[in-house]
Amino acid sequence: MSRFDPRAKLFLLLLTVLCAALAPDLRFQFALVGLIGGFSALCGRWRYALRGILAYGLLCAFTFWCAGSLSGTWRTMFVAFLGLVHKVYACGMLAGTVIATTRVNEFLSAMARLRCPRKLTIPLAVMLRYLPTIREDWRFIRDAMRLRDVSPSLWGFLRAPAMTVNCLYVPLLTAASRAADELSIAAVTRGIENPKPRTCLVTIRMTAADWVVMALFAAFFAIELLWTGGIL
Amino acid sequence: MIEFQHVSFRYPEGGEGGLHDVSLTIPDGQCVLLCGRSGCGKTTLTRLVNGLIPQFFPGELTGRVLLDGEDLAALPMYRISEKVGSVFQNPRTQFFNVDSDSEIAFGLESQARPAAELRARVDRTAEELGIRGLLGRSLFALSGGEKQRIAFASVYAMEPEVCLLDEPSSNLDAQAIEGLRRHLALLRSQGKTILVAEHRLSYLMDTVDRVLYLEDGRVAGDYSREAFLVLSPERRRAMGLRAADLMAERPSAPPSPAAAPRLELRDVSLSYGKRTVLQGLSLQAAPGEIIALAGPNGAGKTTLSRFLCGLHRESGGQLLWEGRVQSPRERRGRAGLVMQDVNYQLFAESVAAECVFGLRRPDTALAEEALRELGLWALRDRHPNTLSGGQKQRLAAAAAMVQGRELLVFDEPTSGLDYDSMTRLAELLRRLSVRGKVIFLVTHDFEFVCRTCGRALWLSGGGLRRDLPVTAETLPALREIFHVR
Amino acid sequence: MQTMMKQGLSVKDLVTAGIFTALFLVFALVGGIFFAPNPVLTFYMPVGSALLCGPVYLLLLAKVPKRWAVTILGAILCAVWFVTGMHWAMALGYLIAGILADLTAGTGGYRSRTRNALSYLLLSLGGTGSYLVFFADPEGWASTMLGNGTEQSYIDTMRMTGTTGILLAMLLGTVLAAAVSALVGGRMLKKQFEKAGITK
Repeated sequence: MSRFDPRAKLFLLLLTVLCAALAPDLRFQFALVGLIGGFSALCGRWRYALRGILAYGLLCAFTFWCAGSLSGTWRTMFVAFLGLVHKVYACGMLAGTVIATTRVNEFLSAMARLRCPRKLTIPLAVMLRYLPTIREDWRFIRDAMRLRDVSPSLWGFLRAPAMTVNCLYVPLLTAASRAADELSIAAVTRGIENPKPRTCLVTIRMTAADWVVMALFAAFFAIELLWTGGIL
Repeated sequence: MIEFQHVSFRYPEGGEGGLHDVSLTIPDGQCVLLCGRSGCGKTTLTRLVNGLIPQFFPGELTGRVLLDGEDLAALPMYRISEKVGSVFQNPRTQFFNVDSDSEIAFGLESQARPAAELRARVDRTAEELGIRGLLGRSLFALSGGEKQRIAFASVYAMEPEVCLLDEPSSNLDAQAIEGLRRHLALLRSQGKTILVAEHRLSYLMDTVDRVLYLEDGRVAGDYSREAFLVLSPERRRAMGLRAADLMAERPSAPPSPAAAPRLELRDVSLSYGKRTVLQGLSLQAAPGEIIALAGPNGAGKTTLSRFLCGLHRESGGQLLWEGRVQSPRERRGRAGLVMQDVNYQLFAESVAAECVFGLRRPDTALAEEALRELGLWALRDRHPNTLSGGQKQRLAAAAAMVQGRELLVFDEPTSGLDYDSMTRLAELLRRLSVRGKVIFLVTHDFEFVCRTCGRALWLSGGGLRRDLPVTAETLPALREIFHVR
Repeated sequence: MQTMMKQGLSVKDLVTAGIFTALFLVFALVGGIFFAPNPVLTFYMPVGSALLCGPVYLLLLAKVPKRWAVTILGAILCAVWFVTGMHWAMALGYLIAGILADLTAGTGGYRSRTRNALSYLLLSLGGTGSYLVFFADPEGWASTMLGNGTEQSYIDTMRMTGTTGILLAMLLGTVLAAAVSALVGGRMLKKQFEKAGITK
């Protein structure tokens, strides 16, 4: 299992966005997903890679079936929906691996080296760390709503909009405000305001492995461009 | 050495928690316990030492706080953080990273220590605190107690001269509190200065050198440990302090009423997906019973309470109420839950509205009665979020009363409560019990169990292992369950 | 006597911005997810997103009434949409709208209720970016979307539904949804969060 430099990962993300956007057909999309699967496996996420590729294979098969066997509005609906999924699948899969394998401190430190201002990196890091917390909060709030006979669903919302809106926002935003206070207290009492550039527990250095994967993705992009341009 | 020279402080909103002309000296290497009622100013005192006041919490400050002769108000926060480490109450909102190693290194990274030193320090910290097993883990997968250990480790790794802890045990179970006690003893043996603001006193009694008792923002008592320990229980209670020695606690709750059982669990199994949490659970409970639910982390206390409230579907067995099998929906209609973090269940814009929130035809007379009975009537126009922790709990209980719920579950109700609030909670439970409610308390608070519960259940290893009345005869077994030594 | 108020953004402001951006993102996704994949309804995705985020946005402004907070929000949303493979114009739209919203709220010192609400309308329009590109240049849009893997039939259906009327409906709908959301948010701010003492 190798660790990659966050900067390299960022570069891969950019390339993947471009590749996915310009992919001429599903074969390229599939190859791209395969490439991302390989990268995820290198990061030590074998299962994620296998599952991702497998699911994408099924998705492709399903797309072909839809395009071939369905007709009319259903076809349009499904194909359209699948089209959107194809569009974001590769990016989402890579983003998943990048988020799971990049530590917050690594990210902050790498961004500092890229001269990205703290004004952007701190909120971004906090956002990523807070997303799972929202899910935890929501579970508690859902329980509390159900015990008050407020149904945490669309139907419940339609039946009692004002009440459901209160249930949804008040505890979530109150918890967020409290978390903002407590998290910043925990950060300032451990010296986050120190003007010296932060160091990082994990050494951040571009290694041969970083250059190799970057070259691979770049090559894929080049082939795609050549193919689209009719040169290959 | 920490010196307070005629320090007064007032928060801009006014209200509780200010300080009035506090002067004191804390020599190096002393371990000081700050105690007193909620709002007595003990948290404010710690905030003056770690610089949060005046830099994070502005307000009116007079007098000086000196650390080794330096005026703390003139030092930037990051300079203070090199000398003073702080651990807080809520383990969920103290971490900035998502993995444990990086979190331990957080403070050192701020100080821009070289990478090689960081690794060595993280490893040494884990070694010395005995938390090697927590390295390399996702923080979201850790229990509250484990998160709190990481928060402690992160401060420990910075090797501060002064260590501040603000109600560190509030969200911890008995085992985690024992771990915290050992960590504090370690700090003390290293000659660090320690300040702990705390309501739960018993776990600290071996460690502290000195006890400062605060009242309305003044130091109203300055005791050595020996002098503090000989305070009579009556005196201590009059000061609003919780038990100093749990071994001295005796069951004092009225015994469970001898009535026909109302609630029955028959061979209940509970699981998450394929993982079975509890199996073969059978028990009966009579109206008016107050039952403590204890057990180690992950023994299924939360799952069982969610099941009782109809929020978790059983994978086997049945729950009967007055002899009739109950579906989850029926259970939800019958049960009330007061969550450990009660903030999640307060929705309305005033105390009075909270009480009748979600009811189609609210009975305002009943709501008023409930609020009066729980001492919340005077606060009826306040916003629930501005109440103290104990008041919020009572409000949640009042809402369940107005809803006519007959089975009530309280999850860790005494976390963060001072003695007065605990007494009021005990009184509330007794009133509910007299009304014939069946009450479950998920708790590890031995003092509170002795005062309120007639019966204790102990969950462990996937099942119900003990079912005891809380009486003088069962005291040894109870002490074992609640880790009282 | 000392009272310290920091100029510029403090760590607390940055952390608050991060946390509320996370909430904004979740609500925008929840609101938009019903609409996005359906070719007939896709134009109304910005409407769905605009409907839910008002309270989050207004509370953020109440807690951090300073320059940059909203720009940061827009910039992070831009980065997230871009990295997850959404249309570039939507990502860019959020960035530009974020800056404009920041300036608008700034004219009221970030404390004027109407200016803050107005700035939310502007930010919500950021989500319409990709659709505006569609109307400005349907051919070019179709080719990027198709290149992105969207099926021809989807584009055709969109073309059929995508008339000037729809454009107006989308813009008006977004403005209307944002206005409703800002109204609800403003009332919630007053009734709940100010009373609760968490708008500092």
